[in-house]
Amino acid sequence: MSKSGFSRLITRHVLFALIAGSVAGIGFVLFLIEFDHLSSTEAFCTSCHSMELVAQPYRESTHYLPASGVRASCGDCHVSEGVFAASWDHFLGAKDLFAQVFGPDYDDPAINALHLPEAAFAARRWFRKKDSATCKRCHVQEAISGSRPATQTIHREETGNKSCIDCHYNLVHRFVPDEKTFKRERWNQMIEQEFGMEPGSAESLMTP
Amino acid sequence: MPVISRPSPGKLQLARPLGIWITGVTASMNSRNFSKLHYLVAVVFCLTLSFGQTQAAKVSLDPSNWGSEAGASCLDCHRKASPGIATQWHDSAHGAAGVNCLDCHRADPADDDAMEHEGEVIAIIVSPKDCGHCHSTEFKQQQGSVHTDTLARMEHLIPTLTGTRGNSPAVSTGCSQCHGSRVEVRGDGTLAPDTWPNSGIGRINPDGSKGSCSACHNRHGFSRAAAREPGGCTGCHSGADSPDREVYAASSHGRLFASNKDRMNLDSDQWVAGRDYAAAPTCVTCHMGAAPGLKGTHDVGLREAWALNTPVSEKQSLIVFKDGDKREWPASRNPPRRGADFPKADGTIGKIKAVASPKTRRKIMTRVCLECHGKGFTTAAMRSFDALVKQYNTQYGEPARAIMQALYEKNLLTPLPFDEKLETTYWELWHDHGTRARHGAAMQSPNDTWWEGIHRVNRTFHDHFLPQVRGVAGDEITEALIREHLGQDTETGQSSSTEPFLGYGEGKTGHE
Repeated sequence: MSKSGFSRLITRHVLFALIAGSVAGIGFVLFLIEFDHLSSTEAFCTSCHSMELVAQPYRESTHYLPASGVRASCGDCHVSEGVFAASWDHFLGAKDLFAQVFGPDYDDPAINALHLPEAAFAARRWFRKKDSATCKRCHVQEAISGSRPATQTIHREETGNKSCIDCHYNLVHRFVPDEKTFKRERWNQMIEQEFGMEPGSAESLMTP
Repeated sequence: MPVISRPSPGKLQLARPLGIWITGVTASMNSRNFSKLHYLVAVVFCLTLSFGQTQAAKVSLDPSNWGSEAGASCLDCHRKASPGIATQWHDSAHGAAGVNCLDCHRADPADDDAMEHEGEVIAIIVSPKDCGHCHSTEFKQQQGSVHTDTLARMEHLIPTLTGTRGNSPAVSTGCSQCHGSRVEVRGDGTLAPDTWPNSGIGRINPDGSKGSCSACHNRHGFSRAAAREPGGCTGCHSGADSPDREVYAASSHGRLFASNKDRMNLDSDQWVAGRDYAAAPTCVTCHMGAAPGLKGTHDVGLREAWALNTPVSEKQSLIVFKDGDKREWPASRNPPRRGADFPKADGTIGKIKAVASPKTRRKIMTRVCLECHGKGFTTAAMRSFDALVKQYNTQYGEPARAIMQALYEKNLLTPLPFDEKLETTYWELWHDHGTRARHGAAMQSPNDTWWEGIHRVNRTFHDHFLPQVRGVAGDEITEALIREHLGQDTETGQSSSTEPFLGYGEGKTGHE
């Protein structure tokens, strides 16, 4: 019995390797799914104290306590949909972990607040780049109504090429102005006052 | 008959930028009147030249300065999101001229209160400086006026009552809503909520300019009528501090307005008393309005000869600095000279452009009266007003102030304000009742002058103030103070005849 080229290739070892590889692959994907899921939760994110600080305003926001009861967790907004995209986001996000360990002491509320604007700008850029994809997981533009009829009309007629983030920012975390009008010096003064720091001391705090 | 005349600069100390004093005097004026009036008219005209143009100065900028392209699309949303203000704007003169949202609200990203909104950089607050971009005449007049100084006055004169030692809800919802807030822009570009919203007329804006045009010209319709009718002023000018709503409403002027509102031509482009309307004068008419030959002004205190809201009234000169800033100056002190360097109200030094004496200021205001009243009538009414103020001063204001000063000097009162009943009584005496009496006389409300005014001043003085002084200082010192400051042995003047209303017999009327 002559064997075809293909059959010749599939030796027992190869077959075993294929099965083992498939199982491992499926296992890896399942692991990613589980990992993404786990690492998108509020509990996971706030296991770093620095994230607990940014989560506090979130817990007072409508995204945490909406009338509908549909709560958006950290990952629902900040991690893309789909296992590979989500994994990529988490991979990129690992730089924050690096910064947490080797960078400034973000666990200090003052230092955290001083660095917040850049984090907010980066997050907004990310939302814009993704065309607010994570917003649209829950919010369907055609379905937006609101308590005033104008809300529905505006969302239908005036949104044009706008992305959700273009209008809707400063919804969840501490208020940070737009990059265009942000003034570092004034922000630092505000944080200095808020935390009873010496005037002018904020700048030195920012660089570890 | 056109007349060229030259008033005495020594008396007036006015700037003479044009070097000409041409006044238009109507042909109907006879020669006798003319000789008396030409000086007055010249004074008036010089002042109006110095202090600005017409009340509704035309915007001289080219229309290419407004109608921003990006601003045209604001309305797409705002017609839906805030149809109230969109409609007000649409129906306004701004709407008709094509001045759009962004023309007024556009901001420089470097401005403290700049914010991103729908891709544009805007500011919520449109300050007088912003309005002044087009309305430059009004801006210049308004910037030096007493209205822009209201916050500073409040903070300096009554710091305890206004609680400037810490912002309080009573200040931000009460005092500041008329006097203005010092708008605080936080480090994140937002406006501190205890300082905004605020349309107080002495508001200090993030750009450093003072005032709020919308205090009178409500946004977003900026109606002329709303600013011209008394309600535009009496929202703030009412109550103890400035009882003008009550006083005006009770006066003949106010009653005429109430019954002739539809004949006031309030929406007219030009609003010259006697020409565009004649049914009644409003606050604007006398304090800032135009009359034939007299230009209107957005400096609302310009025509006021007296300071009425003080423990003792004084006549006041108005010092006008070269940069447009102004300062009130008590007439009892030597007036500084034109051209001199002089400290401004904020302590910085400015060069004096002109000094308007109380006499000049009075002349400008009475110039408006003449559209309806004869000169003799006007002069007599003003004389009665002056007499009441002087009576208040000599009988109550000055003695009470001197007694208070003596008590502080003798350490019989603590320096802490309003911690003793006598201090509150003194405040009620001159501020609550004394102010009402003087405003009543200024604007011819007999009831406010007497029953709500001097009558209460008198009662407060004799029934509360002096007995409390006695309680604080004892009989001996009090008697000495009364002798020194009231020139009598007892605290109340004795009436020579019996008072029928006091314990009058049964069965008799007051006439018997």
